[in-house]
Amino acid sequence: MKPRLDEYTDLDSPLHRWEPRAKLVSLMVLIFAFSFLRDLRLLPVMLAASGFLYFVSRLPLSFLLSRLRLPGFFLLVVAVLLPLCSGTTVLFEIGPLTVWKEGCLDLLLIGAKFVSILTAGIVLFGTTPLLTAVKAMRALGLPAILAEMTLLSYRYLYEIGGDLRCLERAMRLRGFRGRSLGSLSTLASLSGTILVRSYEQAEGVYKAMVLRGYGQEASFREEFQVRPQDLAGLLAVFLAAAGFVAAEICLQ
Amino acid sequence: MHIPDGILPASVCLGGYAAAAVATWYSLRKIRQKEDPRAGIPKASLLTAAFFVASWIHIPVPPISVHLVLNGLLGAVLGYYAFPAILIGLFFQAVIFQHGGLTTLGVNAAVIGVPAILSYYLFQVRNLFGQDSRLGTGLCGFLAGAAGIGLAAVAVLTLLITTLPAHLDIEVERASIYALALAHVPLMVIEGVFTALVALFLLRVKPVLLED
Repeated sequence: MKPRLDEYTDLDSPLHRWEPRAKLVSLMVLIFAFSFLRDLRLLPVMLAASGFLYFVSRLPLSFLLSRLRLPGFFLLVVAVLLPLCSGTTVLFEIGPLTVWKEGCLDLLLIGAKFVSILTAGIVLFGTTPLLTAVKAMRALGLPAILAEMTLLSYRYLYEIGGDLRCLERAMRLRGFRGRSLGSLSTLASLSGTILVRSYEQAEGVYKAMVLRGYGQEASFREEFQVRPQDLAGLLAVFLAAAGFVAAEICLQ
Repeated sequence: MHIPDGILPASVCLGGYAAAAVATWYSLRKIRQKEDPRAGIPKASLLTAAFFVASWIHIPVPPISVHLVLNGLLGAVLGYYAFPAILIGLFFQAVIFQHGGLTTLGVNAAVIGVPAILSYYLFQVRNLFGQDSRLGTGLCGFLAGAAGIGLAAVAVLTLLITTLPAHLDIEVERASIYALALAHVPLMVIEGVFTALVALFLLRVKPVLLED
């Protein structure tokens, strides 16, 4: 696993420069406004809004496509199931299979919301280093225990991932294939070993942290300074989100 | 097990966040009642990362392989830290792998995390057998693992049934639900056995990890 999320956080764009707290709140509100939509007429506007955000972020298109690949399998399953199983009006028939109109419309709705929300999420965390995003959440009121656990877990995630790869390689070199349920006991020992190693490492990490003054309250508020353009961005996105919700209510 | 973005209505997503906030508040309240709550944070954080990594291990179920959820094991080992750990793990999955979703983070955390807390209580029953008892640890480990995924599956299926498109063929819907429910029974057994095996391994190698 490579830490590819932070790959383009050092680019220069209005979204990269946006104050992290304002960006976090704005884009989360927009994402929830997207999830509120049910009317198909609003879908092109929603897709255009998320596309515009992505364009302004200057993130490469290949980055978006690579991140959509894994969740795209879910969309594929929905695309196969919904048109064939959901609906009462026949759109057309292919041999013994019937394609239903309502299922196709549901697919459009779910697919468009899925892509738009994911794109906005990728813009949010693709233009903000994860550590900055967590600090911004802490400044917005995230409990200290949650913020510290998130930062520490992220710090050791790749290291422990590397440990797992080493252990798996060592097991393969010793002839382990793990192709049957009989290998469950060996895999349980592998998981247990990862847990024991992490626990032992945690004891050392805790002592080192205490020596460096761990336990003092840290404030991240001073790290962030809101400028007029940050507030303008916040207001613009809030208005867009309110517009989506109002349009949905009016069209219903 | 993770519900992706775009499927659930906004009201359900917000309800999920409210449920997750209550469960987080409850967990943090219990953590703060400990003598030195901060001392447990590095251990819980590294174990959160370790559980996240351990969930990538492929378990062979011929002809396919599956990834375990491990929420029962998380509850057994981390206790009240289990819910924050699951919330963080799901947050990483949503932002790093786009697995799950940001709008459904609360729902996913609630359906996986609340059973983890229940699994913790279930695993504590082993104390009745004595903390060194292999029988008690194995049995309660199995129950904690199986109950963790079983309850999560019931919660996810209930959510999906109540929010699926209204014009879904009732027969197809019923058949799909039965098929999904049946598919989770062997997974419950596998997750239960796996949790029991890991718990027995920890009892042998590092019993302090199983102590409350």
